[in-house]
This record gives sequence, structure tokens and C-alpha cells, in this order.
Amino acid sequence: MKATIAQYYAGDSLLHRRDPRAKFVAVSGLAVALFVRDSFAGLAVYAAAATLAYALSGVPLVWFWRAFRPLLWLVALTFFAQAVFAPGEPFFSFGFVHLSWRGLELAAFLSLRLVVLVLVGSVLTLTTPSIALTDGLAWLGRPLRRLRVPTDELALMVTIALRFIPTLLVELDTIMRAQRARGADFRRGGLRERTRSLVPVLVPLFVLSFRRADELALAMEARCYRPGAVRTRLHPLRARWSDAVLLVATAAVIAAGLLV
Amino acid sequence: MSSLEVLAGAASDKSRAPGSAGMRLVCGGASFSYEEARAPIPALCDVTFELRPGGSLALMGASGSGKSTLLQVIRGLDAPESGAVLLDGAGPADVGYADLQREVGLVFQAPELQLFASTARDDVAFGPRRLGWPEAQVTSVVDAALDVVGLPSARFAERHPYALSGGEQRRLALAGVLAMRPRLLLLDEPFVSLDPGTRRQLVGILERLKAAGVTLLLATHDVDLAWALCDELLVLGEGRVVVAGPWDFSTAGGHLLAANRLREPFLVELWRRLGRDPQRAPRSAAEAAEALS
Repeated sequence: MKATIAQYYAGDSLLHRRDPRAKFVAVSGLAVALFVRDSFAGLAVYAAAATLAYALSGVPLVWFWRAFRPLLWLVALTFFAQAVFAPGEPFFSFGFVHLSWRGLELAAFLSLRLVVLVLVGSVLTLTTPSIALTDGLAWLGRPLRRLRVPTDELALMVTIALRFIPTLLVELDTIMRAQRARGADFRRGGLRERTRSLVPVLVPLFVLSFRRADELALAMEARCYRPGAVRTRLHPLRARWSDAVLLVATAAVIAAGLLV
Repeated sequence: MSSLEVLAGAASDKSRAPGSAGMRLVCGGASFSYEEARAPIPALCDVTFELRPGGSLALMGASGSGKSTLLQVIRGLDAPESGAVLLDGAGPADVGYADLQREVGLVFQAPELQLFASTARDDVAFGPRRLGWPEAQVTSVVDAALDVVGLPSARFAERHPYALSGGEQRRLALAGVLAMRPRLLLLDEPFVSLDPGTRRQLVGILERLKAAGVTLLLATHDVDLAWALCDELLVLGEGRVVVAGPWDFSTAGGHLLAANRLREPFLVELWRRLGRDPQRAPRSAAEAAEALS
């Protein structure tokens, strides 16, 4: 099964049609609120809102699972670290492992927070094409131009990075197949052996990425891309009333989460 | 012992009788589809054909017809959803099938995806070392493989794979597979983006392997090279077998080729225009010259 980190799911849902700037602001606001609020009640409000948003996006649930699966180990690691190292009255001790109810509670809270964060982020990337996302980011970053921050270039870098994630995943798959065909076994052995077996996979992947970056730069220059040049948009962003509604609704959700 | 003999294993491997280097391949009703987000995309539907030991088969068909998928299924990198790939008569459930799969060599289309070691020698040695062969044997097969593909180890063994030219990289990727002494060799578009000289060299290598008894399955768009190298033809169209068996240049056979974005080989067309039997057309310019003189 392929991973779908930062992939766009073509559709025409209520959320697909929203202005990328509104979606980006809403998602950023929710993400900040998620980190500020540290109660299960607040988390539940944000989780409910994120689930509703996902349902409104019309994207099959399996897509979220694919985006989330590669991050499972991160969630597991967070849970383990918190459960083992958080302070509290231990009810079980073995070696350096001290389990306390407080620790387990904290572990569950932080893991859940990560899951909701991924869900919120997925709604943005699954319903927004990367070009729209870049345009939105560039627009939001405009004030920084006064400080000579190359916002358009940064936005373009983000788009290119997002654009190439699926390509790199396909290439990674091909490289691993080519090596499996020559006897490599990525599932055998301990952690050290498995990590070592990844080195020969990463070498061609990096070489290809650098080569691709070179070619992409040449292709962009050949099509008249000039860094720093003022660029116009084929589809200028237009905010509508419905985008304002989205922002107000998100603000209400954030407030509700902070107050419960 | 010549390099080719070292690789074909005819003399050095006691378990193999001389002349029986090739593997028999039977593909019985193999189907496979790619799992995609919205719906699975069928890539192979009920693909059935047979390839005798030491035989050579050209796998052709329009882009996206399932050629690469079929090669990966035969090599065992993807498991067919239904049907089976029999190697020397053994199926996936039989003891020793995994060992037989290791004797199937697959050269991928893009050589740069296969090369990763810091020297050509280490890269070619990757497969043999994974097979757990003693280092002395690894050294001998690596030298033999490099020699067979025209990259003699004295000059090329210590070079970095990425410092080689495109054609050399392709030959190095082939050497990496040959070093594992495959009895069935699967090649995915081996002639793409090669200059005519390198292409001729590669044809020479494949002819020698074929003569040594290795079974060949060659996925290619190049009908002229397919005709020069392969006794039989397998055409896929949208994942289904359209043609399987000897080359057929009758009117019906010609229509089938055209319908699948293929054409008759140049020498076959020449023979037809000369009023000769296209079915008996020569396989090479040398044969044509001999027949015409």
C-alpha cells in the first residue's frame, strides 16, 4: 500500500472549494490551539471538529490511514517515552521502567494530540492542490517581504518538495525491488541490520534526487523562471463569504476547546 | 574456463548437467492488479504462456500493457492474485521454490536505480554475497560477469558506478544480475537510450548467453532486435495475452502486430517486398547477405 503523505485527493467538496489561505489559517489556528490546550475535554472538541472536517472533505478514510501509517512509530514512541519517563506515583516498576497512572494519562493525551494534528493537517493537504497551497502561503507571507524574506521562492520550494514526495516514494519502491531481486531482504535481522540494509537504498535515491533537482532547475530556467521576478497568477485567489464562514466557525471551535 | 562458462555454471556446478543451464518457465493464468486509492487497476489478466529451457521469448506490447509487471511477477517481487508462475515445474507451494526464484535474474529498466555500491566490483558482488557464496567464488563470478559485459575488472572494477557512462551503467547492472548465475534472465527494455555501438555489444552478450543455454525473456519495443534475438513472441494488450508462440507474419498475424502498435521487423518486410516467404526471413544482416548472394 502506498503512503499518501501530503497528497491531494481530487474532489469538489465543501472544503475543496475553500480558499487555500482560509484553510491554511484555520488549520494553523487549530494546530496552535491543540498545543496550547492541555485537557482531554479541549482535545475532544478539536478531535470532533477535525473528524467533521474530514467527513465534509469526502475523502475515503483509507487515505487518512495511509497518511498516518508512516507516523505510527512516532506516536508509539511518544506514548512509550511519556508512559515510562513521566513523573508520578508508580504502580509498576521494572528496571528503569516506572509506570504511573499519571504517566499513562499523559502518554494517551500526547499520542491523541498527535493523531488529531495529523488529521487536521491531512484535511488541508488532501483538499488543496499544492499549487493553490503555495499561492496561499506566498500571499500570507507577503508582509515578510518588507524584511526581504523571499516569500515567493520559499513558497515555490514548499510546492516542489510536496510535489516530489510521491515521485520519490515510487522511486524508493523501484530501488527496493531492484535490490530484492538481487537478494536483499529488508525485513530480516535486527534493527542494526535493517538500518544497514537501508544505506544502499538511500544512495541511489539521493543521487537521483540531486540529478532531478539539477534538471528541474534547468527546465525552469528554460521556461523563463527568474528568481525574484514579480509574477502574476493564472488563477488569482479570490476570497468569498464562505471562506469567512470557515474562519469564523474555526474560531468558534478553537474558543470552545479553550473554554470547556 | 571462459567467463561465460563460469557464469552459465555448465562446468563448475556439479548439480547442473552441461547444456541444461536454462530454466523452464510456465505462467498459468497469472492475474495481478495494482492497489490504488479509488479502485484496483488491473495490470495482468489470466496471462498464460510457456517458455522452454534455453528458449528465448520477446515480450512486446504498447506502453502500459503490463510487460514490466509480468517480469516482476515472474521474479516473485509481486505475487499473482490468481494463477501461478511455475519454475522448472515447481510452484510457490513446492519446497525449493524460493531457491529457484533466486535463479531468475531481472535487469530493471533504469540502471541508475540498481547501482548503489561505491565500486563496480562491490556492486556486482552484492547479489553473490547475499547468496552466501564463499569470497573466492564471489571474486571469480564478479570478474567473469564484468568481463562478459565488456567492463574488464582491471579497468572498471574499482570505478564508481555513477562515474560510468549510461551504457556502461546498463552493462554494469546486467553484470550484477549475471554474477548470480541466473538460469532465466528477464530484461526490461534493455536497449533504451543506448548508442548503436553499445546496443550491438549488448546484443552480442545476449546472443552468447542464449548460446550458453540461459533462458531469455526480453521485454522490448524494438521489433528488429526482438526478431534478431528471440525465437518466440508474446504480445500483451491491456494485460491480456494477444499473441503467444512463434512469430506469425501471415495477414492475420500482421494485423495483430499493427493493432498493438507494433510492426514487422525490417528484414521480414524486406523479404516480403522481395517476394520471398516472410516466415523464412533472415534474423540478421549477415544471414540476409548470405541468402541473397
